[in-house]
Amino acid sequence: MTISAFVKRLAGVLGTSALVVSANAHAEEISFWVRAADQAFVEPMVKAWNDKHPTKVALTVIPSDDFVTKFGTAVAGGGAPDVVAIDLIFVPAFAQAGQLSDLSAEVKTLPYAKALSPSHMRLGAYNGKQYSVPFSAESSILLYNKQLFKRAGLNPDAPPKTMAEIQAAAKKITALGGGVKGFYFSGACGGCNVFTLTPYVWASGGDVLSADGKKETLDNPALRNTLTMYRQMWTDGMIPGGAKTDNGSNFINPFFTGKIGMMGSGAFSIGLLKKEHPEIEFGVAPLPGAKGGSASFAGGDSIAIPATSKNKKAAWEFITWCLSSDVQIDQFAKGGSIPVRADFADNTYARQDPRVGVVSAAMQSGRTPYSPYFNQLFNDPNGPWLAMIQEAVFGKGVDPAIKDAQGRFQQILGH
Amino acid sequence: MTALIRRVPARQLAGYWFILPCLTVTTLFFIVPLFMTIWMSFNQWPLLGHPTFSGFSNYVDLLQDSSFWASLWFTVKYTLVVTPAIFILAFALALLVHRSVGFVGFFRTAYFLPVVIGMTAASLLWTWMFNDQVGIFSAILMDLHLIDEPVQWLAETNSALGSIVVMVLWKAAGFTMVILLVGMQAIPEDLYEAARLDGAGRVQQIRYITIPMMRRTFALALVMSVIGSFLAFEQFYVMTRGGPFNSTITVVHWIYRASFTYFKLGYGAAMSVVLLLILLALSVLQLYLLRDDND
Repeated sequence: MTISAFVKRLAGVLGTSALVVSANAHAEEISFWVRAADQAFVEPMVKAWNDKHPTKVALTVIPSDDFVTKFGTAVAGGGAPDVVAIDLIFVPAFAQAGQLSDLSAEVKTLPYAKALSPSHMRLGAYNGKQYSVPFSAESSILLYNKQLFKRAGLNPDAPPKTMAEIQAAAKKITALGGGVKGFYFSGACGGCNVFTLTPYVWASGGDVLSADGKKETLDNPALRNTLTMYRQMWTDGMIPGGAKTDNGSNFINPFFTGKIGMMGSGAFSIGLLKKEHPEIEFGVAPLPGAKGGSASFAGGDSIAIPATSKNKKAAWEFITWCLSSDVQIDQFAKGGSIPVRADFADNTYARQDPRVGVVSAAMQSGRTPYSPYFNQLFNDPNGPWLAMIQEAVFGKGVDPAIKDAQGRFQQILGH
Repeated sequence: MTALIRRVPARQLAGYWFILPCLTVTTLFFIVPLFMTIWMSFNQWPLLGHPTFSGFSNYVDLLQDSSFWASLWFTVKYTLVVTPAIFILAFALALLVHRSVGFVGFFRTAYFLPVVIGMTAASLLWTWMFNDQVGIFSAILMDLHLIDEPVQWLAETNSALGSIVVMVLWKAAGFTMVILLVGMQAIPEDLYEAARLDGAGRVQQIRYITIPMMRRTFALALVMSVIGSFLAFEQFYVMTRGGPFNSTITVVHWIYRASFTYFKLGYGAAMSVVLLLILLALSVLQLYLLRDDND
């Protein structure tokens, strides 16, 4: 083995892609990082690109929980990839730290710029510049088991329209016995609950952060009602015990057993359930508020070019391809997810399944909290958001939990 | 340089050449990083962006950070529970496998085997065994009709800590056992013979010969075990993620969090330095208390 070959191998083993990246600068190759949650739809997509284009894309999949840490460390060490798809909520933090390339001029050249998912575009903007564009979309919905609805004497075609109706339905479903429970949520996963719990708060007229993201607004009746609903369902035994320690690794698995009546989930569940569990008859509905209405988290990934990329031109070419119908319709919509372009919302695949209409509508009206401190506040397994949910639902109660969280939110936001 | 070499006798010079590889590795991987950490702790050092010198501000913040002290207190509690437990179990195991009788090699290997498994892999294995749905512990207790429904071992503070202690006992006792075994076998056999002639029983032999003769070994085993417990991270990170209610966060977990969740490397470095000083003080204290009277 030559010394340079050895060094390259060593670099590969150590995971420091810095050397590899510089070696690749001459080759026709761009590096692309995504989180593990996206692996299923990104791998075939990258393969499709590599089959057709002379510039090759080298994909690296990073464990979802470690993505921010790993990408942050790589950026600091000069080993960031040419293209990165990040959970949209983390874009402000990286844009603020000056780690992403300014794409404002390039975005202006896109004829469909105005049709791009508004939440993604808002989170990708920092100080008047655009640092990312949408890549994949994910909205939150209420997923429910139609078979259990029927068995419990509920109308499977009339899902709950208020939070009180959810609680009532959960009670009836739990009463079926035999291990059947009315409701499920991942009680030890902060990120999961931003996705599935805040929509109840929004739909009831409350919020968790001020519009500019600089202050917490936790002390409001909407959040109190939502947490109270969860706490009552927990104390009344309508939620399986495992919910308390589920850090998101069991996010949807309990629903696969056919013993869960309802849960907050995402658009991705439609494709997944149809493919893996055709035996479960399920419906999707908007997540309701206390007195009706509905709301959704507008999530998914944004795609960006790290500031250190040496292949910016090729990287942008790849990004525009990701936004084309080749990807958004022929790959994403076909697999059951939602395109990030409004002009693609009405497509053959969406027309085939009315449930896709529900998630698309949710995405269009979806909301996303804006904060450079999102990771510390909401995703950190030891952060204040999760501590609040745990104390409110399983611990000392809703009011003390909110009070504690207020102080800790402000501590982080005040920095 | 040549003057220096001339003054040092050739024999002594050869000695320096022998320690050179060790010295290089220690300098490169211990001394340099140590000083870098100390320097880092005097800076605001964001993971993204540029460091700025800030004097003692990280240390001042640290004094007021109740979460840091809470994690330190939890680590102390964990150490106080786990160290004696490992020690007693390891001593008992060492007594069992100390004499060369049939199958003793098999048992020594069996007790030591968990030590060679990575802590993360072991934690995952035990997370699975403690799981309420698929885990073996709840299943056994239910089959024995001792409980009616599965136990959420990792869902309550005390049972979560207890579960981790059990896992660590299984994982680490073998290592301490080997250290103790070495000390035990270094005790001259004639001491026991003399004691037996004087009519000492098995318990008396342990009480008056084995234990007093093993002070230094105990000191070594104890210091290593306390250091290991103070630096606990993987088992908590994997098995409880610091939960429930953030009640099982160890100090290293907190350092990791400050550095890689909050991206505050300078603050993480300051906490590391404080932890290093605490460990240093503790080790000195233990070695002093367990010193040989002949020292």
